Amino acid sequence: MTLSTPWGLGWLALLPVLYWLSLPPRPRRFEFTAHFAEWQAALAALRRRPRQAGLRFVLLASALVAIALAAAGAAVPGRPGPQRLVVLLDRSASMLASAPAGSASARAAARLAAAFAALPEPVELTVLTIGDGLERRHGASARHLQDLPAPAGGLDVDLAALAAATATADTAVWTLTDGQGQRGLPTVGALTVLAARGDNAAVLAVVVQDQWPLPTLQVAVEVVGYTAAPAAAELLVEGSVEPVPPVPLQLAPGEVVTHTLQLVRQPAGGELRCRVRLPGDVLAADDGQTLWLPPLPAPRIAARSDGEAGPFVRAAAAALAAEVAGQVVAAGAGDDVGLLLVDGGRVLLTPGTQRVLTFGTALRADGELVAWREPRAIDWDRRSPLTAGLDLSELRLDTAWRGVLPDGEALLWAEHAGQRVPLAVVVGDERCASVHFAFRLQDGNLPLLPAFPQLLRRAFVRCYGAGAALRVLSAPPVVGELDLRTAAAAPDRALPSFATPEQDLAAWCVLAGLALLALRSCVR
Amino acid sequence: MKRRAVTLPPPPPALSAPFRELLHALLARGVRLRGERTETARARRTALSQSGTFVGHRPYTRGDDLRRLDWAAYARSGEFFLKQLEQEERRSVTLWLDLSPRLAAGSPPRRLAAVRLAAVLGGLALRRLDGLTVLAPGHSPPVATFAGAADLDGLLRWLDSLPYSISAPDRGPELALQRSLPGRVHWLSDFARPKACERPLLALRRRGVKVTGWLPAIADDRGPVARGALRLVDPESGDELMVAVDDALAAELERQLATLARQQDRLFAQAGCRLVRWPVPAADDLRLEAWSAMLTEAAR
Repeated sequence: MTLSTPWGLGWLALLPVLYWLSLPPRPRRFEFTAHFAEWQAALAALRRRPRQAGLRFVLLASALVAIALAAAGAAVPGRPGPQRLVVLLDRSASMLASAPAGSASARAAARLAAAFAALPEPVELTVLTIGDGLERRHGASARHLQDLPAPAGGLDVDLAALAAATATADTAVWTLTDGQGQRGLPTVGALTVLAARGDNAAVLAVVVQDQWPLPTLQVAVEVVGYTAAPAAAELLVEGSVEPVPPVPLQLAPGEVVTHTLQLVRQPAGGELRCRVRLPGDVLAADDGQTLWLPPLPAPRIAARSDGEAGPFVRAAAAALAAEVAGQVVAAGAGDDVGLLLVDGGRVLLTPGTQRVLTFGTALRADGELVAWREPRAIDWDRRSPLTAGLDLSELRLDTAWRGVLPDGEALLWAEHAGQRVPLAVVVGDERCASVHFAFRLQDGNLPLLPAFPQLLRRAFVRCYGAGAALRVLSAPPVVGELDLRTAAAAPDRALPSFATPEQDLAAWCVLAGLALLALRSCVR
Repeated sequence: MKRRAVTLPPPPPALSAPFRELLHALLARGVRLRGERTETARARRTALSQSGTFVGHRPYTRGDDLRRLDWAAYARSGEFFLKQLEQEERRSVTLWLDLSPRLAAGSPPRRLAAVRLAAVLGGLALRRLDGLTVLAPGHSPPVATFAGAADLDGLLRWLDSLPYSISAPDRGPELALQRSLPGRVHWLSDFARPKACERPLLALRRRGVKVTGWLPAIADDRGPVARGALRLVDPESGDELMVAVDDALAAELERQLATLARQQDRLFAQAGCRLVRWPVPAADDLRLEAWSAMLTEAAR
């Protein structure tokens, strides 16, 4: 017991006074009596109890001692030890590996919950979850394990170094890991190794060559197996494609097997799941990958032209329809078409809001068109998705029109007075775009170039924007989290004893004093 | 209630030199203590012969047979003496002293008065009767016999040596009847436990023994002598009581003590015996007048 204000014990100086006050009234005499029974009978007749002055004084003195201790700040000294606990919790993908006692992740959560329940309240708690990024939780959130992230990703942190850097005299470190992806386990602080070893197969990558807007696509699936011996597995391809039978695979330990499939998607698009099935696989999270296939576009292509236009726009529409497996339809008001080709003339529309491909078409009613004879030094953007890889060096234009192009991303231009003047622009965003050329088809040899059909197809795809893009829905597996046969191991180490604060006994002493006083009042 | 070991004060020196002077003065007053004839020579009770072995003299007391006067001794000394012969009928007295620690109570202690009373009664017996037997159950030996005036000093020494001792009241009659002790029995006690005294008293009465109870009455027998805080101790058991004596408690105690006195009186009355409540004079009151009332009671 410690006393923070020892001078409070000065109250004990009142003890002699209390003793003096507790003495019975004078005269105080001691007598032998031959009539003890008569004295008792007299007391009983008067319903009096014998005085217990000694007990009354002892109770009063005890109450005074208790109050003096309270005044002196009596306290039970605390226990030295760490006052903070930092938990390094491995939440990498391999923590999902199953075992008879549950996944390593679930076992870690259970161990933490049990330990936190017994953790003294004053201990400051921090939980660092390390997996797909590093997250920190502190205080009550950490104590209640709120919103623990699902195990994912790799363990990019050296747990041993982190534990060594975190541990101090006041801070205890507790590492919970499966030992996967670590060169060595921490040698500092408490350690819990949640081993979950076993065979594992994973889909490393899915390489897709999409021929959208055509329904065909080529899928190359890379599979690896980490097993003790060569094992037979199956590759399953499911989702919004025409059914594919399971593909048997023979997996050698640690070797990547690539299998290529030609698939035909369903027009509505949707998920494409590639999954490997290995008997005894302990980690299911990396067994497959999921892609999202865009739906096929509406294959209706319309073409409009002014009276001076030649046959090129019709031919272009037919070529594009052949390219995307569509059909040419008449352009009527209110019709739903996949792409509108306009050659010459004037069309009132807002660029970038409709899937339109225009050639020398004025987009505003009041725009003044100025002819530009024989533009020279025509060049194109080599990095634009529309023109990259195309050969437009043979492009010759008789006439181009100034004032027909809206503001946008230039992909074709000509030199004039030392400056680049756009001849074609793309306007729009990822959802919808329109492509505009500053010349009509009959004003140059563009329709005759070999790159023209490809340019049309690319313009079609670009007009659809992200709607034509394939999306990857699942994260790629982390290489270090796949081989579950070689996890680092070490014996577990328990948590140290944490510091306990000094416990103030003043309130208890006051209570005891009051109780003793109450008891004294009941004793005659 | 507390109970603790009791350390009694040593019995007070009852028979100091001033008291011995008083004792001799009391004995010289010629009061005759009534004795009882022994059973040993019942056949000679009416005989006139003076056969037997001469064993000594004793002073003449009123009522003695004049025929037994030793006229030769009268001629030598001028005082009347009776010759005592062995096998003669004897008049003797038995004193039964209660040695209970309860007699330590009182101021002066009741024990002081009891020993002094025994000395006076014993002295009278030795002076006027043929023999004296003193029963002191709890002492070793519990029985002592004395005869003749010359044994007075021995009696006083023996009385002064008596300790406090606890013994059952039944022990007195047991000792008396075992030894066929003669004479009248003077029982000196506080009789604070009347029920416990009932059986020994009846046992003596069934044998035809006449018993006189002597109760040295002290102030404590009437009620509390003062008010205030009082720690009472039972000298026998060691039980303790802390009491605050006020008027109500004093009155109630007086009522209880009056009840006790009635029980004591009823006890002796039912046994056909006499109980003498002798108001004890102060310890230093050794005036002859203060003891004369006791002599009167002894002569009855």
